[in-house]
Amino acid sequence: MSAPRLLSNRTSQQALSNSDYTWEYEYYEYGPVSFEGLKAHKYSIVIGFWVGLAVFVIFMFFVLTLLTKTGAPHQDNAEPSEKRLRLNSFVADFGRPLEPERLFSHQAAEESQSLFHFCINEVEHLGKAKQSQKGPGLESNTHFQEVPRTSGMFEEDLNCLSKFNIPNFVNTEQNSSLGEDDLLIAEPPILLESTSVVQSSHRIMD
Amino acid sequence: QVVVPEEVFFTVAAAGILENLLVLIAVVRNKNLHLPMYFFICSLAISDMLGSLYKTLENIFIILCKMGYLTRRGNFEKKLDDAMDSMFILSLLGSIFSLLAIAADRYITIFYALRYHNIMTLRRALVILAIIWTFCAGSSIAIALFSYEVATVIPFTILFPLMMFFILCLYVHMFLLARSHAKKIASLPTSTVHQRTNMKGAITLTIFLGVFLCCWAPFVLHILLARFCPHNPYCACYMSIFHVNGTLIMCNAIIDPMIFAFRSPELWNTFKKMFCC
Repeated sequence: MSAPRLLSNRTSQQALSNSDYTWEYEYYEYGPVSFEGLKAHKYSIVIGFWVGLAVFVIFMFFVLTLLTKTGAPHQDNAEPSEKRLRLNSFVADFGRPLEPERLFSHQAAEESQSLFHFCINEVEHLGKAKQSQKGPGLESNTHFQEVPRTSGMFEEDLNCLSKFNIPNFVNTEQNSSLGEDDLLIAEPPILLESTSVVQSSHRIMD
Repeated sequence: QVVVPEEVFFTVAAAGILENLLVLIAVVRNKNLHLPMYFFICSLAISDMLGSLYKTLENIFIILCKMGYLTRRGNFEKKLDDAMDSMFILSLLGSIFSLLAIAADRYITIFYALRYHNIMTLRRALVILAIIWTFCAGSSIAIALFSYEVATVIPFTILFPLMMFFILCLYVHMFLLARSHAKKIASLPTSTVHQRTNMKGAITLTIFLGVFLCCWAPFVLHILLARFCPHNPYCACYMSIFHVNGTLIMCNAIIDPMIFAFRSPELWNTFKKMFCC
């Protein structure tokens, strides 16, 4: 290790008698260190370091936990248009540019499921009954016509969401293999990421 | 001098190497896993493997030395020592940068979701990995050669907390977004999100960073102390637990695949297929 070598260089410069070059962890070669007259405990640095580390980690955990105090509001029966509006504004908040974007391939969409995609999908699934809004157009309608998820799946997906497995979350409802090409629809729908959208879009475009 | 029994040492090292090797094999064999995200996880696995390999080789050499097969002051041993030092530093730097790459990848996935596949193409990911590893290899060789300069120890030690802080910021930002998502979902009629589930995010994040910190920080502190106060009795006491620090680094190699790679259902399924068939 570089540390013993480094020290042996210095000790050889100081011409200590037992300064052999070695790369072993034989710290007696650093020169005799006397443990007499220590004010604090021998292992004070060790203890202090580990305590400090533990305190820091726990502090970080508490900070993060405080951030999770969401105080979730109770369930309301909001209007569907209201929900849609909220969703739009929510998405717009993240400044997603509404320019033509390429759709993702099946594999890509599957693997790049983020919380963002996932949540939007979930909200859409919940709001699928209210299809009166025009929205981004064709693909949102096709999206709404998908097979609805059960509430059980929703719960499980929410658990996945909160597990923070962002890119690791694989959307389990994907089972087709569309291949690698991606450009399907020019419009940038907000809910583009579900491959069921892709599938339905494929069907409609063909 | 606190000594870790050699059996423990070798077991831990072997487990680390094996686990990371499995991750690599799984990613190579499954075509679905040829994605930037998994390439970064592979990079982490490689650096963990290098770290464990280094410790194993070093222990073997010490044993050989004790048994008298190798001299302590030969030129060959010095060169070997240099090579092994650079391998270790390569592993450390590789770990840090891989974690950074994984965090950045996840960040882009969330915040640039619609353009993720334009931003992070497979080729770009490979280029990024090549740059990272070239940089790490270059710095590790430089550090190993010039380890007697103060100038190498200081940046090396500063890099560590700096990277940690940056990764923490990325993850906290993502975490805040996840929380606001959960809020929005909770405001819908049929949602039954419990506050408890938000805890899991905090726990996961703490585990990510806590593990890295707890496993690498003791060693970095050791390097600092060895450079600046080797003759101080307090420092000497800390440096006597060097074996424990080494074992911690190998434990990191074992834990990292569990918290990064094995969380992916696809990878886990590949594993099961590999072993059950």
